[in-house]
Amino acid sequence: MPIGHYFAASAIMFAIGLGGVLVRRNAIVLFMCVELMLNAVNLTLAGASRVWGEADGQVFVFFVIVVAAAEVAVGLALVVNLFFRRGTTDVDAANLLKW
Amino acid sequence: MIAALNAPLTVPPQVAASDSSAEIILFWVFASVGIGAALAMVTRRNIVHAALFLVLNFFAISGLFLGLQSSFLSIVQIIVYAGAIMILFLFVIMLLGVDRDDTFVERDVITRVAAVMAGTVVAATVVFAIIPAFGSDASVCGEFNVVEVVADSDDLPCVGLTDAIAASDNGSVGVVAERMFTRYTFVFELAGVLLTVATIGAMFLGKRHDVDDQDDTAWASDAPLPTMAQAEAVLAATHGIDPEGDPDGESAGEEN
Repeated sequence: MPIGHYFAASAIMFAIGLGGVLVRRNAIVLFMCVELMLNAVNLTLAGASRVWGEADGQVFVFFVIVVAAAEVAVGLALVVNLFFRRGTTDVDAANLLKW
Repeated sequence: MIAALNAPLTVPPQVAASDSSAEIILFWVFASVGIGAALAMVTRRNIVHAALFLVLNFFAISGLFLGLQSSFLSIVQIIVYAGAIMILFLFVIMLLGVDRDDTFVERDVITRVAAVMAGTVVAATVVFAIIPAFGSDASVCGEFNVVEVVADSDDLPCVGLTDAIAASDNGSVGVVAERMFTRYTFVFELAGVLLTVATIGAMFLGKRHDVDDQDDTAWASDAPLPTMAQAEAVLAATHGIDPEGDPDGESAGEEN
């Protein structure tokens, strides 16, 4: 199994997530798309770990998962706050800092 | 295997192709499920459906981790992502009651086309610029870390994860743990600090604050949860979009 296949699948998932972040405007869906992109990168790291036969890539994946968990906890708290202040999770409703 | 490692270097890269066809089947099944679920997740208008498709995508990625001999990551993926993070998402969706069809798809055609183009450019760049170097069957453990192996060996001709896991007493978990608690101990502790800070931050942010005069007080916290029409009114006010606008215009985005 060429490792490039894994990289290609990962790149496609990353691109889908990127397109989702650009197209969707619901903050929750935006977060889910970001999670998708993080997972695609995780897949690449695990593939590289296999190619080079070192566990470092898997350790990095572990840390990425930790950071993603922290990001989701804070981000969803922000979304809840936004919802109670604006009544919607539309990202365009958070415009106080807009110039 | 030790004897094989001491043998002279005869590297037929084709030998690496001798990995099982099970991995090939595993890859194609999980990769297609994962990509399909990702597409469905991005295009569903119902947030709950999107979240469930994302769970499916996480399971598929977990299966791909198995194919990459990372069984530890495979389990962590299911426990942390599918188990914890997605439950958090679903709790927030349930709490806010935003699971109705969301009208918040970007309606601007230019933005949509630009998003598709950006995704295509990113994917094409990676696929055509980076992946050809890893296109051969030997790339799994190819020229990067090939060591001595006899040509008639059934083993993969490298000290890939196969050998590292075989040499460990505790399999894949042992390999990861050994690296994590030696070279990356400090980073591991930093990760713990980060999680603590994130927990405190989430507790602070999740607390209800008094209504600020910058807030749209129509949406004060003791008001009933807004209806879809009210949400559309906010949308119209903040974005200049006619809430009565053509709802069928959305269907164009559903099929990409």
